[in-house]
Amino acid sequence: MITFASFPAAPAHDGYDGARRYPDGEDGMEVDFDDDDMGASGRKLTSPGEVLTSSQAFMRGHGTFVDNEEVIASVTGVIERVNKLISVRAIRTRYNAEVGDLVVGRITEVQPRRWKVDANSRQDAVLMLSSVNLPGGVQRRKVESDELQMRTFFEEGDLLVAEVQAFFADGALSLHTRSLKYGKLRNGQLVTVPPVLIRRLKSHFVSLPCGVDLILGLNGYIWVSKLTKASEQEGEEGFDAEAVYSNKNDDIDDATRAAVSRVSNIIRVLAAHFVPLTDTVLLDAYEWVIEQESDIKDLLQPEIGEALVTAISAQRQ
Amino acid sequence: MSSRVEILNDGGYRSDGRRQYELRDISIDLSPRGTADGSALITHGLTEVMVDVFGPKEAKSRGQSVHDRATVSVEVGIMPFSTGERRKRNRGDKRVLELAASIRQTFEPIIQTSLYPRSEISIFVHILQQDGGLLPASINATTLALLTAGIPLTDYVTAMTCGVHSTTSLLDLTILEENDLPHLTVASLPRTGKVTLVTMETRLHAERVTECLKIAGEAGKILHKEMKKAVEARTQKLAQAMEMAPKVAVVGGGSGGVGDVEMEDEMDT
Amino acid sequence: MANLTSISKSEKSYIQTALEAVPPLREDGRALYDFRAVLLATGVAPLANGSARINIGKNPEEGAGGTEILAATKLEVETVDSGDGVDGGRIVCTVTCSPAAYPLLSMNALDELQYDYTTTLHQVLSHPSLHPRNLGILPRKKSWLLNLDLVVLSDAGNVYDAMFMAARAALWDTKVPITRAVQYTAKKSSSSKPVDEKMDTDESSSGFDTRQIPSAQDFDLPDYWDEGEVLGGRELWPLAVTLNIHSSVHFLDATSKEEAAAPLKMMAAFAFPSTSSPTIQAVRLLGPGELQHARLQTLLSEAERFGQEMYDALEIKLRDEDFRRNHKARNRFAQR
Repeated sequence: MITFASFPAAPAHDGYDGARRYPDGEDGMEVDFDDDDMGASGRKLTSPGEVLTSSQAFMRGHGTFVDNEEVIASVTGVIERVNKLISVRAIRTRYNAEVGDLVVGRITEVQPRRWKVDANSRQDAVLMLSSVNLPGGVQRRKVESDELQMRTFFEEGDLLVAEVQAFFADGALSLHTRSLKYGKLRNGQLVTVPPVLIRRLKSHFVSLPCGVDLILGLNGYIWVSKLTKASEQEGEEGFDAEAVYSNKNDDIDDATRAAVSRVSNIIRVLAAHFVPLTDTVLLDAYEWVIEQESDIKDLLQPEIGEALVTAISAQRQ
Repeated sequence: MSSRVEILNDGGYRSDGRRQYELRDISIDLSPRGTADGSALITHGLTEVMVDVFGPKEAKSRGQSVHDRATVSVEVGIMPFSTGERRKRNRGDKRVLELAASIRQTFEPIIQTSLYPRSEISIFVHILQQDGGLLPASINATTLALLTAGIPLTDYVTAMTCGVHSTTSLLDLTILEENDLPHLTVASLPRTGKVTLVTMETRLHAERVTECLKIAGEAGKILHKEMKKAVEARTQKLAQAMEMAPKVAVVGGGSGGVGDVEMEDEMDT
Repeated sequence: MANLTSISKSEKSYIQTALEAVPPLREDGRALYDFRAVLLATGVAPLANGSARINIGKNPEEGAGGTEILAATKLEVETVDSGDGVDGGRIVCTVTCSPAAYPLLSMNALDELQYDYTTTLHQVLSHPSLHPRNLGILPRKKSWLLNLDLVVLSDAGNVYDAMFMAARAALWDTKVPITRAVQYTAKKSSSSKPVDEKMDTDESSSGFDTRQIPSAQDFDLPDYWDEGEVLGGRELWPLAVTLNIHSSVHFLDATSKEEAAAPLKMMAAFAFPSTSSPTIQAVRLLGPGELQHARLQTLLSEAERFGQEMYDALEIKLRDEDFRRNHKARNRFAQR
């Protein structure tokens, strides 16, 4: 089935109200603009080149720089102040990592004793061979033969969940998967969203009652998969290389597959409307969708998507 | 070469009905496109330029990466149907390379590249339609695309053309006027008022150049306000959309304190 | 063609297993023969003779994405006897891939890709069976060169179908200026030289040598403001249907990930003449793998059926667009 629609008109907020005449003559050159940047919520926006404050009284944080003893914004975004630290947070950016963050990444390259991982960051992250659990016991030390068979653990294209362990001097991330919660991803599909929509939560592993597991990577990569039974994650002793580095999916029943697709579409819709994704939002959205009894693919229709977002935000008021 | 059209008539109007310093309509669309990290579409009169920005990201070839800063690459594509006469320009075309080099040189000092060692910031400029002011429109759209991608800049860059008809200076030339008049393109930084780029392909009297620089700089300030308005409107919209979601218990991240911190009160600037 | 998207083995098998399930399921919940939403606009490039923009699979609001292609036609006058012109006009198709659509590809790989797309599109659309009758201006003297330029702005899968839809929309939208032959009375001296004296004709066709012009003929545009007439036989411009094949199933409009998981595909282009049955204009098997003879037959007739659906839906949209634009233009005129 195929249907054709029209491109949406440029949204009014971006579009701009047409002609602004350049005044003829010197006197009119200073156009008066009242800088009403205050949003309804009282957030204050700023833009590059704007002087925020004096650098003697405040410290400069992210999104600012100092010139001539003044703290000046370098991105468009929301001004944030923590004590004496002034920073500006841009809304849509690539992922800015912090140590301890949980990320989902994709292997881009296998190099000697390390993997390069795309994690939506400013450069590819690095996963050292020494930072992964090796088959044959969690505490096993790495041996030379491991270096020769790195592709049996991770190869190009593989997805994994890992934690940010440290930064290299040039700002590249160093990841580790030395926990049974981390490692190669199976039994599902990837959905990507702007990283800002993933807040730092107590846990980034979310289980929905429909038999779907979510891993909300702080880098905006979300893994949607079949529920992993708790028993499979346990058992330090029974660490099984077959399972941990397996490329084979379990048997997944049709209902679970449908649920995975449904959750993926919900994430796409919420992300398209720039709604931050948390476990409660996702649960509410899933319930709403089930109540509506709509088809999975219908969710991607603009009207149904909007109805979903309206329903979700109504619950929050 | 001279055209049959009068550049400035006795009543002080230009061939398209504008006054001497009047700018053409500008519209700005910053909605995201494709897989780009930031996009901007600027329609300036009949000139239309679309810019996609990717990065900062892993450099495409390791040989290109620099150990202490991000590299900036610019590719310009001129649509063959963007002019009256069809003209297909390949990537190696001199005019295309020149345009790309001007844009790169304008932005390299403005982007805070030192924050992203070894990374790459790719700027792809698509010229959809040409009616004069190609370089200024490309520069203005690039500024906007970089801002929507959240890439730190020390300032906006705004650009404008200024031409001289006998002794009168005209702002924002159409292609008709560009073909007839000596003119220059000026890119300036609104905060410091500094000029980052001046290009001129024809001869012009030194006195006129000074005047042009001044007027183009003033026009840049007007552009700055419009561009800022568009970017902030978009940022505002996104910030508001994000607040629809519930407040949740936030676990502070490691360093920096970039967690969800509320503004305590009005800040004194 | 090289896979542009890399996916893991488990992602690949997840997609494949779901395709084999009964009923089959795709990652976004579509059925096998569902398209993503297709957005289309014509008349997007005012300086072109015809133009269209298409996006398959764009998410609303902030979602972006989708396969987006811009297509535009531009007419040029060519001289038949001395220039590159061909009597009755000709068509040249060019596809450009924006590096923004393939940020990971090297420039060489990008060139190869656009060369491949150009060849496919040009071979199909410049076929004599589709040639519009109104591209000639003066027999054996002047003719139109119809340039069709496509730009791939982003690729989220199914580029071939999108390309042909964009091309068809732009060609459908194309208006050819109406010309009128004009005859000057020049000295009717040495009549045209034999064509085989190539060197000689080349030299003497210099613009300064007016004596050589035999009964000079030119043309003018009787009504400069008139938009012109549509291309002759515009209902013929073909559409492509790509069937992505995995084991015993086939499906339409694959996303990039699905293309990576089911790399074998059959692309077939069909024309739908109003008076006779559809004709196959091209068939290409893409990607690794092979097909049984009998299967190819069934796939072709399936593709034809989908092509007809696509054709009908697109036709309605194109007429709507035409109406919308005329309506807008009329309103603007009325306001003056």
